[in-house]
Amino acid sequence: MRIESGGAFEAHRRRVAEARVARRKTVLVCCGTGCLANGSAAVLDAFATRLTARGLNAELGVFVKKTGCHGCCQRGPLVVVEPGGTLYTKVQPRDVAEIVEKSIEHDETVTRLLYTDRKAGACTCQGDVPFYKHQTRIALRNIGRLDPRDIDDAIAHGAYAGLVRAVGHMTPEQVIDEVERSGLRGRGGAGFPTARKWRACRTAPGDRRFVVCNGDEGDPGAFKDRSLMEGDPHAIIEGMTIGAFAVGAHEGFIYVRDEYPLAVSTLTTAIGQARDRGLLGTNILGSGFDFDLRLSRGGGAFVCGESSALMRSIEGKVGEPRAKYVHATTRGLFDCPTVLNNVETWSVVGQIIHRGGEWFARLGTPLSKGTKAFSLVGKVANTGLVEVPMGTSLRTIVEEVGGGVLDGRPLKAVQTGGPSGGCVPESLLDLPVDYERLTEAGSMMGSGGLIVMDDRTCMVEVARYFLRFLTEESCGKCTPCREGLKQLLAIYEGIVAGRGRPGDVERIRTLAEGIRLGSLCELGRSAVNPLLSTLRYFGEEYRAHIERRACPAGTCRELTAYEIVHDGHPGRSAGVNGKRRGARAVQRPCNGCHVCVAACPVGAIAGERKRPHTIDQERCIGCGACYDACRVGAIRFFPKSERVAADADAAC
Amino acid sequence: MAIVLRVVTERCNGCGNCEMACAFVHAQGTRPAQPRIQVLGRHASPGPGTPVLCLQCDEPACLEVCPSQALSRDETTGAIRLNEARCIRCRSCVAACPFGNVAWDAARHVVVKCDLCGGDPQCARFCPTGALLSSRTGILTCP
Amino acid sequence: MPTLRVDGVRVTVPAGATVLAAARAAGAEIPTLCHHEGLEPWGGCRLCLVEISKPGWTGEGKIVTSCNYPAEDGLVVRTSGERVVATRRVVVDLLLARCPGTPLVQRLAREHGIEEASYEVNPEPTDCVLCGLCTRACDRMGVSAIASVSRGASRAIAPPFNQPPPDCIGCLACAEVCPTGHIAWSEADGRRTIWGRVFEMQRCEGCGRPHLTAAQAGWARARGAAEQDLRLCDACKREQLARTLRAVSRGETVAAQAAAS
Repeated sequence: MRIESGGAFEAHRRRVAEARVARRKTVLVCCGTGCLANGSAAVLDAFATRLTARGLNAELGVFVKKTGCHGCCQRGPLVVVEPGGTLYTKVQPRDVAEIVEKSIEHDETVTRLLYTDRKAGACTCQGDVPFYKHQTRIALRNIGRLDPRDIDDAIAHGAYAGLVRAVGHMTPEQVIDEVERSGLRGRGGAGFPTARKWRACRTAPGDRRFVVCNGDEGDPGAFKDRSLMEGDPHAIIEGMTIGAFAVGAHEGFIYVRDEYPLAVSTLTTAIGQARDRGLLGTNILGSGFDFDLRLSRGGGAFVCGESSALMRSIEGKVGEPRAKYVHATTRGLFDCPTVLNNVETWSVVGQIIHRGGEWFARLGTPLSKGTKAFSLVGKVANTGLVEVPMGTSLRTIVEEVGGGVLDGRPLKAVQTGGPSGGCVPESLLDLPVDYERLTEAGSMMGSGGLIVMDDRTCMVEVARYFLRFLTEESCGKCTPCREGLKQLLAIYEGIVAGRGRPGDVERIRTLAEGIRLGSLCELGRSAVNPLLSTLRYFGEEYRAHIERRACPAGTCRELTAYEIVHDGHPGRSAGVNGKRRGARAVQRPCNGCHVCVAACPVGAIAGERKRPHTIDQERCIGCGACYDACRVGAIRFFPKSERVAADADAAC
Repeated sequence: MAIVLRVVTERCNGCGNCEMACAFVHAQGTRPAQPRIQVLGRHASPGPGTPVLCLQCDEPACLEVCPSQALSRDETTGAIRLNEARCIRCRSCVAACPFGNVAWDAARHVVVKCDLCGGDPQCARFCPTGALLSSRTGILTCP
Repeated sequence: MPTLRVDGVRVTVPAGATVLAAARAAGAEIPTLCHHEGLEPWGGCRLCLVEISKPGWTGEGKIVTSCNYPAEDGLVVRTSGERVVATRRVVVDLLLARCPGTPLVQRLAREHGIEEASYEVNPEPTDCVLCGLCTRACDRMGVSAIASVSRGASRAIAPPFNQPPPDCIGCLACAEVCPTGHIAWSEADGRRTIWGRVFEMQRCEGCGRPHLTAAQAGWARARGAAEQDLRLCDACKREQLARTLRAVSRGETVAAQAAAS
């Protein structure tokens, strides 16, 4: 059914919204990629089967909805029962019958499936869970609440209200002014003011213009764009349509990586439904404005997230960055003026137009307005998808939203911005998150990855990891990035393997500066950020690796040896496992519990139960599995070089 | 005002001064270039030679096929000039010229063709018999 | 006609010119590897880096590649500032590690005061500097028989699937534009071999000398070259012209008209 006008849209919206209010119960089953991987599809099926068996169906006002990512991926599969917002975590098909009986047929809760942590206790309502309580969701406002494959569900939740206002009651200039008032800056990482970009495109000469959505999220550990595309595709379509109206474009592309099959299929469905409703296509809502969208599926090269490479890829050429000093807003896709924005940027545009720029600008810091979505991962209790106002401190994100470091270990650093970003040390954790502060700290906002690192993270290895990623993803077009990253990687691989040489740090700095200044695109220019930031804050660890052949975190296998403590008084002061629950680092002698024996992948640990065990140093591969498994803190690590020296002494 | 270089075949005595002049005026350092003019038919009739060089065609086939716009008409002399820096050495012009007047210099790996010496063709200057006549006016009179 | 200042020298260049052209016009020496005036600017080798600033800019200048930065009015260009020289030196050093035995790269290294590579020398030395001139020349021919394959450090230039390229016309432009002579080809017994493909040469109908590949002739025909002009080699075409000129001087007008057409 096509909606012909703003008035007709409002009538339709009211109808679908009221129909939803009238529902007795709705079960929201998270079918984001994380929960799907944890088996939420089976949970969804179980609900359908169980409800049918109990004679509960739509006629009786009971609905099951397959939603996008709820965010708290750590506790998936997640199920929410509306009204009331009861959140059930780690739901398995066998739990479904009980949920149906208690939560749907009656208004009770299944206590054992509620979110529980030590601080908050058991939380019945989703909103009470600390993970959600400290968030402010704009981009993620409807993810997990609506069925991404049902446009009417999206409309009932407020989608396209901004579009109705824009095309029905505003001029393109007014739309840009409204975005300017919001202070919105690009969520892809660089933080360019969105309104300025739009205005440049609008005023650039040319008959044909494009709006493009960058859905080529490729940072290791980042999934916020994926979740947005999978969970609320209409917010993106609405934002792009408003943007197209503002800049005078009639064609748009969503560039999405093909490794996101769910996003591809969700977006395809959503675009089709938007066309059917007349929200895409010719004469949108009777305004005379034409706009249509196409999906362009990327082959998965990280560099295609770079704007010129992305546009070349859409053009059907090799996805390589193009060296040019003309902005895409003047000559972009097919050499026409083009606005390229990140998924998250487009997702908030509809809300900004609907609720006004000032509403958005009230959140955040003076220069970074609104909220920012992050993929919170790493050694944190609650990994998942979070959105907080700009200016929130990293500590709040990690401690409050994320529930602190996993296993109560000490926090060492937070890596932001993916391979182009840097590591912010624990000492700077009260840093308010905005574009400027992160850049000053030697990191960057990036596309919103937040990787939490504990004391068992070697910062040299972290730098090596990102370097390796970028060495593999460098397109190889320009010399510094292609040859320089390869050489840097060789140096780093030497350092973590105990082959570090004096002068390595200087070599790293010289190369990094050459790559930063000399590379063609942002991939190369920012590739050295992880190195530079770890050098800046963790220079001591580099020195330990190079000068003493020691890995302070005890994770570089070539440098680290493990032993089991029998007397509880370690002679040498290297890493000590304490399972620091309650912030105590206590080392106790081995009680012979045998857990480490099971954990050791190479059978290097021997010992009778209830008797202290020992590690066969010849067989030990230094993986640290025993250390991480030990519940009493009886295992310690120390530099292998000390063992070698001790052996030499013994031989004498 | 184009340069017209007229060849009066019957006056050529086959001395080869024109080739020499061309080779030296286009020389790179001390190394003479492959001449853009060639005296042919020294044993044919009427003898003793026939100088051939680029006709600077009105619709030049060489310019037409060039993929990198390395050939262009010089506005002042009217010559079809080769911009060596733009040439990608595909030698399509050599194949396309109906008269064989664009050649490949295998020693220097460059395409060579007559450029009318920028307006003062040295072949004509050094021709002792008046077989090559250059004129600025476009109207020639035989002395 | 923008006027800019290069190393203190004022220079005016035609609109649309690049900073590289302006700098060279001003007498500055800027090394390049991937630049070719007949091909699209590529900006890959990063040797032509310069530092630019504009009136009103504060802080450090911006480091850009001069080969593709448009010469804008009022631009101030420094071709050998400290940062530029240091960065260029890193680039040359890296190239030397990649191509330790390549004379052109060795010369560049010497010019930048590098005796030997500061980094791990390529265990499989190559002469290919990955300047992309060959593929761009091939693209310019409209042939695109070769392309870059793979990425990062394993990037290489190759025909599709490393097989003899079906679209190659054997024009040798790739080999001719290669600055290091990395692209090998051979010609013997009327056969030309390049990229593993063997071309049977078309022989001149006058002297019998092999002078171009059939595919090259087809390429030229498709761009308006006349069939009869492709049958003879350039020497035989000159002989034909000489015969025509003699015929004219003998008063035979028919051949002259034929030649002129």
